[in-house]
Amino acid sequence: CSWRSMAMRQTPLTCSGHTRPVVDLAFSGITPFGYFLISACKDGKPMLRQGDTGDWIGTFLGHKGAVWGATLNTDATKAATAAADFTAKVWDAVSGDEVLSLAHKHIVKSVNFTQDSNCLLTAGNDKLLRIYDLSQPEAPSQEIAGHSAAIKKALWCNNDKQILSAADDKTIRLWDRSSMQEVKMLTFETSVSSMEYMADGELLVITYGKTIAFYNALSLELIKTVEAPAPINSASLHPEKDFFVAGGEDFKLYKFDYSTKEELESYKGHFGPVHCVRFSPDGELYASGSEDGTLRLWQTAVGKTYGLWKCVLPGKSLFVSVYTCLVRTFHFQPV
Amino acid sequence: MATPVSVLRLPKGPDPNSRGFDPNSPRFVALCRTSISTSAAEADAKELQREQRARSALRERFLRCLLTMTNKKVQFHMHEKVDVEATFGASDIDVLNFQVSDLHTPIGVQKEALIRCQDVISFTFDM
Repeated sequence: CSWRSMAMRQTPLTCSGHTRPVVDLAFSGITPFGYFLISACKDGKPMLRQGDTGDWIGTFLGHKGAVWGATLNTDATKAATAAADFTAKVWDAVSGDEVLSLAHKHIVKSVNFTQDSNCLLTAGNDKLLRIYDLSQPEAPSQEIAGHSAAIKKALWCNNDKQILSAADDKTIRLWDRSSMQEVKMLTFETSVSSMEYMADGELLVITYGKTIAFYNALSLELIKTVEAPAPINSASLHPEKDFFVAGGEDFKLYKFDYSTKEELESYKGHFGPVHCVRFSPDGELYASGSEDGTLRLWQTAVGKTYGLWKCVLPGKSLFVSVYTCLVRTFHFQPV
Repeated sequence: MATPVSVLRLPKGPDPNSRGFDPNSPRFVALCRTSISTSAAEADAKELQREQRARSALRERFLRCLLTMTNKKVQFHMHEKVDVEATFGASDIDVLNFQVSDLHTPIGVQKEALIRCQDVISFTFDM
């Protein structure tokens, strides 16, 4: 299909269901059943969706407070969530059942599985990093102290041998798992709004103010920074490292060229600030979560046939324009 | 003028009546043989059979219990040392909520109420 030759306008797919702001989202790896997406929401009900279509699969019920962080393991068999009810929970992502509830001393903000799904890293307002051995849930977690303010995000890196954490003390720290010691620290002028780690290439994507910064995840050396038109809350680098997307306080999604730093596109759609944005594992789409309570899926290559998007041949364009217009105006779903 | 990309349909939203995780989906059928963590993955086939038989028996007993309880006075023992009495109406399909009437609480009688199952430790009633 000659989608490249036509000027196509992006049609985001809106996933509704949450009743409060969506604050975090994560994709699984690619599994024999496709890939999956989990969303964390202030309504306390994280949801699992089919990654390429946004179709709702189920809601994880059990938290008694806003869910601040959510993650899936690589094969999407387990989910973990971090909530304001002072617990992190592990779930069976196939049945939706709660498997473990890990009590903390304060609001939990971040959860992350190791690649083998055997350990869970949690972090939050008690300023501690905790490592849980999921095969021995009764055993106390290992604790790493050091941050002087609430931790926003903590991620495994360097083949799960190290940990990266970003906190409200305006630092990002690198820790060694076996020694539990701090290895390196980055200090910023302002609080970091988000952090994404890419194992392939050992890259770290950090956002603060209107800046999207790219670091080497092992050395914490700065690679480059890019300035956006508005304060940015989250950014994600395409798996092939040719684009990155960012979203923030002006409700828009921005797409930049990674090598040239050029702003390529901007998309309106959300009715509130964008809190999180992530590329799918195959890079074909990216998902954004917003204060408006919705998740939206956006195509990387606008006009390509993928998931629910369909490429249409030039001859049918009038019919398709009318049809698409009807779908969008009346939200009518054909049988 | 740019043409908007066409879509086959909109993403499916949540089902208002259930929490999802369709047990008939190919993924569930393939991966959820025993979803309960207490069953060891490498358990002896005979052991597994015994366990499954026990689980079926317990489940059947529980469901019969819910049926028998209908319209009877039930005492619910809940977290935080809360004990309440109510007339049991019905359970929802995922056993997440119990619909009750005349719920006697320390601050009065609630004519109709929903009790969240995860807050209930145990319940008793006279048959």
